[in-house]
Amino acid sequence: MLVLTRKVNQSIMIGEGVEVVVLDVRGEQVRLGIKAPDDVKVHRKEIFEAIKTSNEDAASVDPSDIPT
Amino acid sequence: MIEERKELKTRVGVIEFGSDDVLNFPDGLLGFPDQKRFVLVQHKENSPFRWLLSIDDTNLAFLVVDPAEYVTDYAPPMPKRASDALRLDHTTPMLVYTIVTIPSGHPEDMTLNLAGPVVVNCEAGLGRQIVLDDEAYPVRHRAFAQSGEGKAA
Repeated sequence: MLVLTRKVNQSIMIGEGVEVVVLDVRGEQVRLGIKAPDDVKVHRKEIFEAIKTSNEDAASVDPSDIPT
Repeated sequence: MIEERKELKTRVGVIEFGSDDVLNFPDGLLGFPDQKRFVLVQHKENSPFRWLLSIDDTNLAFLVVDPAEYVTDYAPPMPKRASDALRLDHTTPMLVYTIVTIPSGHPEDMTLNLAGPVVVNCEAGLGRQIVLDDEAYPVRHRAFAQSGEGKAA
């Protein structure tokens, strides 16, 4: 993992198409702005992980468990 | 032109489909980014449940259902990124399905993923799993009230 330190209003470029900028910092919360092309999905990690796990569980649903 | 029909043995049974039935998911599904070709088949006659089946991996099958079967007023806003990817404008017919999870042997604990609906542009044969990052749309929404209260299926 690459570790960088930024101040408010400073940015990070990921590849040539994605920019992450620190908008403000209040106590423990950091507000980030992300500029990315339309084909790059940007989400909080928790939601991404939750849907991924749910998809993995869903992929093993047994037809015999389906309510008629 | 004779449409080429193919038969496939999947983990949920043998299915038959034509090239027009294939839905392309350019981004796959979350956790399954390499699965890009699916067909949607009805589970049983008169059943609201459908199977979203990968035609490239016959073991991969997702149970989906029209959320209106279990949830009232589910009409989440479509992120622009998603409608662009699906080439949808406000008049394009689309299908919205939610992926269903049923813990083995416990149909009463069935849940619907309201945070990650599958949206299909019927005319273009394109599909996508949308991510809705909003507390109003849980990843595991119970289809039935907790046992002991309310109605069952």
